[in-house]
Amino acid sequence: MGKILLEVNNLKLYFKTTKGPVQAVDNVSFTLEAGKTLAVVGESGCGKTSLTKAILRLLPRNVLEYSGEIKLNGVDLMKYSDEQYRKEIRWKKISMVPQAAMNSMNPVLKIVDQIVEPLLIHDRKMSKDEAVEKVKEVFSIVGLPLDFLQRYPFELSGGMRQRATIAMALVTNPELVVLDEPSSALDLLTQANLMNVLKRIKNEFGTTFILITHDIGTASELADEIAVMYAGEMVEKCHAEYFYNNARHPYSRKLMNSVPTLREDKELVFIPGHPPSLINPPKGCRFADRCDQCFAKCSEHPNVITLEHDQKVQCWLYADKMEVKQRA
Amino acid sequence: MLNVETAPDRAVRARSRTSESIMRILRYTLVRGVTLFITIIIGVYLAILIANMGGYVDEMRKSSLKEQIEQSLQNDEEYKLLSPAQKLQRVNEIYALREAELGLDQPFLVRSLKYLWNGLTLNFGQAEYLLSDSGSRQVRNILGERLGPTLLLMATGQLFLFFVGIFFALFLSRRYGSVLDRIVVALAPTSAAPSWFYGIFLILIFAALLGWLPFGGMIDAPPPQGTFAKVLSTLKHLILPVSSIVVSSIFLTAYYWRTFFLIYSSEDYVDMAKAKGLSGRQIERRYVLRPTLPTIITSFMMTLIGLWTGAIVLETVFNWPGIGRLTQQAVNLYDTPIIVGTTVIYAYLLALTVFALDIIYALVDPRVKLGGGGTGK
Amino acid sequence: MKAIANFFRQIKHYPSAVAGLIIIAFMVILAIYAVIAIPYSEAVRLWRGGEDVWKETPRNARPAWFNLFYKEKQSVTQIMRSTENPEVKTVVDLGNGVKTNDFVFEFDYPYDGFPTELAIFFTSTFKSARPNASVKWITPDGREIPMQDLTLRPSETYNISQDTRLTRRLGGATPHVGLFADPNNPNKVLKGTYKLVIEGLVFEEDANIEATFVVYGKLYGFAGTDHRRRDIGVALLWGAPVALSIGLVVAVGSSLATMVLAALAVWYGGWIDWIIRRINEVVMILPLLPILIMIGLFYSRNIWVIMGTTALLGIFGSGILSYRSMFLQVKTSGYIDAARAYGASNMRIIFKYLIPKVIPVLIPGFVTQIPSYVFLEATLAVLGLGDPSLPTWGKLLNDAYSRGALFNGQYYWVIEPAVLLILTGLGFAMVGFALDRIFNPRLRGL
Repeated sequence: MGKILLEVNNLKLYFKTTKGPVQAVDNVSFTLEAGKTLAVVGESGCGKTSLTKAILRLLPRNVLEYSGEIKLNGVDLMKYSDEQYRKEIRWKKISMVPQAAMNSMNPVLKIVDQIVEPLLIHDRKMSKDEAVEKVKEVFSIVGLPLDFLQRYPFELSGGMRQRATIAMALVTNPELVVLDEPSSALDLLTQANLMNVLKRIKNEFGTTFILITHDIGTASELADEIAVMYAGEMVEKCHAEYFYNNARHPYSRKLMNSVPTLREDKELVFIPGHPPSLINPPKGCRFADRCDQCFAKCSEHPNVITLEHDQKVQCWLYADKMEVKQRA
Repeated sequence: MLNVETAPDRAVRARSRTSESIMRILRYTLVRGVTLFITIIIGVYLAILIANMGGYVDEMRKSSLKEQIEQSLQNDEEYKLLSPAQKLQRVNEIYALREAELGLDQPFLVRSLKYLWNGLTLNFGQAEYLLSDSGSRQVRNILGERLGPTLLLMATGQLFLFFVGIFFALFLSRRYGSVLDRIVVALAPTSAAPSWFYGIFLILIFAALLGWLPFGGMIDAPPPQGTFAKVLSTLKHLILPVSSIVVSSIFLTAYYWRTFFLIYSSEDYVDMAKAKGLSGRQIERRYVLRPTLPTIITSFMMTLIGLWTGAIVLETVFNWPGIGRLTQQAVNLYDTPIIVGTTVIYAYLLALTVFALDIIYALVDPRVKLGGGGTGK
Repeated sequence: MKAIANFFRQIKHYPSAVAGLIIIAFMVILAIYAVIAIPYSEAVRLWRGGEDVWKETPRNARPAWFNLFYKEKQSVTQIMRSTENPEVKTVVDLGNGVKTNDFVFEFDYPYDGFPTELAIFFTSTFKSARPNASVKWITPDGREIPMQDLTLRPSETYNISQDTRLTRRLGGATPHVGLFADPNNPNKVLKGTYKLVIEGLVFEEDANIEATFVVYGKLYGFAGTDHRRRDIGVALLWGAPVALSIGLVVAVGSSLATMVLAALAVWYGGWIDWIIRRINEVVMILPLLPILIMIGLFYSRNIWVIMGTTALLGIFGSGILSYRSMFLQVKTSGYIDAARAYGASNMRIIFKYLIPKVIPVLIPGFVTQIPSYVFLEATLAVLGLGDPSLPTWGKLLNDAYSRGALFNGQYYWVIEPAVLLILTGLGFAMVGFALDRIFNPRLRGL
């Protein structure tokens, strides 16, 4: 086992809304080794983006609860004050690549100015020229022509912008990069290109990635581990190679069954119904009413069960196997 | 896909990009300037038409001209001896001469164009009753004298309003939901009242009741000796009118801009800035203020336009010797040339305001600088 | 109905809007009362004033309730009419067609301050023989002071204050002071019950005298009086319906017109759009107030002409641009294309699809505009270009300002209309702001 970079324990992120509290991230725990890529998959609204916000401490105004442990190299970041977090963690240790929104770059600043910002903020001694040199380096890594530096975001196409965002996330050489659906708004060719870039970075620099996606197929290229989120909870996590053939949680199985494959002649199955509301989630297993394998015990909330090969699953079907990790 | 670029190459390209954007801005300025000028021409023409009641005034001038001639001939010895038919002929001769002199014999369209030219060059002839301080009757001189004080008052008021407004709005957007924020939101409707309205109350409190500040005027009468004392006295007199301008608009302005800031603070790129570790202040300046500046400038333009003509009553209330008070005096005396003159001056002032703000907008919004997409204005 | 209930439920969340609604309701009630109590023609007549209309009120009197704040109580105007109180009059038939018409006006004078004027207005009916009247004064301490003997015309005014003979008889004191002065301390008022006795004689069978005795005080009525003795309350009252009707009609009318024009411009595009945009550019630099001034001076000061022009210029002002950009956004949305696909007519698309999208912006828009039109009317009135026949709040301000009310300490003259103006403005503005926050989803919760 390699060094553990990130250890998340009992992470909770609840929001206040006019309709009631939304339990977007509900008691999520996982670990991630350095240099590995964790892909977090799940449907829309399952809490994936909220998980990134929780890890990056990008909290909106209506936060109700934000608790748990986020340990980076053994140090609990939750204990940091906002100012400390800003100076020591933001972009220095953890950075992010947002969803391919048209809007993640400041429209009135030149691209180079936006990308040198984190360098100049976190390293007072660096001069502007040195910073620009670094920017050029990452630009070549992501494969963007250098004259794009002097342009404004609206002058770039979607794919270019996304690459620029990736460049921005890498420029300070952070230890962990969280990517939120980095290619969902792009065409397939650009997607493939992007994945290649990420693979290169992973191999050359050993950056740890958390890749949020709803597209399991693309995730498979990059992921070492796969985690499945459902209704704000992480219901399964295991090594990628086991996931694709041996997913345990009924939901994971259904997900895999819904992905078309090139070579097999698969009958695609869809999952009837829709996920429960995050405002008043059911007390028992949250997947129970859509699961075709649910039984009596499922009305109780399942604990996290660890199986062989470090596969963790939250489902009563596996209760009699090995350790039963206590739910906090 | 790597581009190797030498420093000189980069400099050349940078220079050409800068000169490109300068060219673009100049071209934009030119286009806007010409458009505005055409607009002014049309506007002034309309004003002239209205003032002339579509030619009616000229007709009246013609008939009164005839009367004048007849009256002035009453005392002419030669005239008295003529036969009625000859008298008539005489009158008509003189009339034809005078008519040609005044240009009243030409068709309305031509006349109106002449008036248009006069209007555009601010040549309004002589005032009927008012005089300039130096005793001149020329409307142009009177207008010229009065323009300065108005510009002083309006510029001071508007600059104050803009800068106080922006900083107040930024301050509020950081303290969303606080008591101060809620007070400002509740007070925003007070901007329904124009500046002169608050002016009256400010005079009531600070001049009539407390006696701290003067009732009106621009400088003490008699004016004090020495430039410094004069400046100080003017500043003292500026306080109440400028305060009226600011008070009458500040709450709405601050509320409006603070709402903008709040809306634009929830943009994705602001979150990114926070994630990158920028401090609150940096985020405010580069990621909230700078992108919203074009929108703020446009909305400020609207405020300004309202302020300019609201100044008419404001100056009257404060007895401020500017174009506004001049308009009021001319209204009381029914001094037509001055009224038309002030209308044209206001049209020019408005057009200049629009022009200036368009330029600032162009400088601030890179999408205009580079001719990129952007919103259709 | 449900929409209205929903609306009220939402408004509850905004206390400022509730306050605004209350104010508006108050103004509406005031307006309705004004129109009923003093019909339009009557109001115009009263406001035009003149010799007879306001003779019974003092000049520049403060409101009566000011006495609550004075240590030394000032005199409140008292008007005693024999027509309303027939008991003051006694008629004794002396035979031969001669009758006495005696009046005893008994009144309390408890004030520290002297009145400003005294007058008696006689109205007599007779055929040819003019009646006589002999007037005398009885003080609380029993002194009887003869005033004047008069032969009456059908309408006779005895200006007691200007009676020079009486002044001499009082030792040089003007009658309205001298008659009330304490003999031991001529600077102080002798408080108590006074009597004005009129002994009248008529010489014909059907002849009759009626008398109205006015003690003009420094205070009068609810709102005070102006330089022409007019009760300011009349204008305060009538200002309400004027302000409301102007504000509503112009705001709603021009907003609707702006919206429809913008929709047409966006939908039909081409030259319609081009023309509207050019007109907008010209109108934006036309200075509204100076143009209105010119129209008021050279054409007509009729309030509807002025407001019509304002509306016309307002339609092509900046509002049309913002509606236009809204419509542009809606035009490109999917359901518009769908409507075209099923063959909807242009008018149908405009009125059924485009415009309803924009109505949530229209409503807060015109509510917020109402105060600016109300104040525009006031601005014109203050400049002296108001409709001369209408009693409005702006007119009051204009009168007050041109008479130097602020210098003379007649603050009430300025404050009363100003307060009503700002209340109306605030009322609509507060509701408009809340409406904006309700209807604009981006602002909800802000």
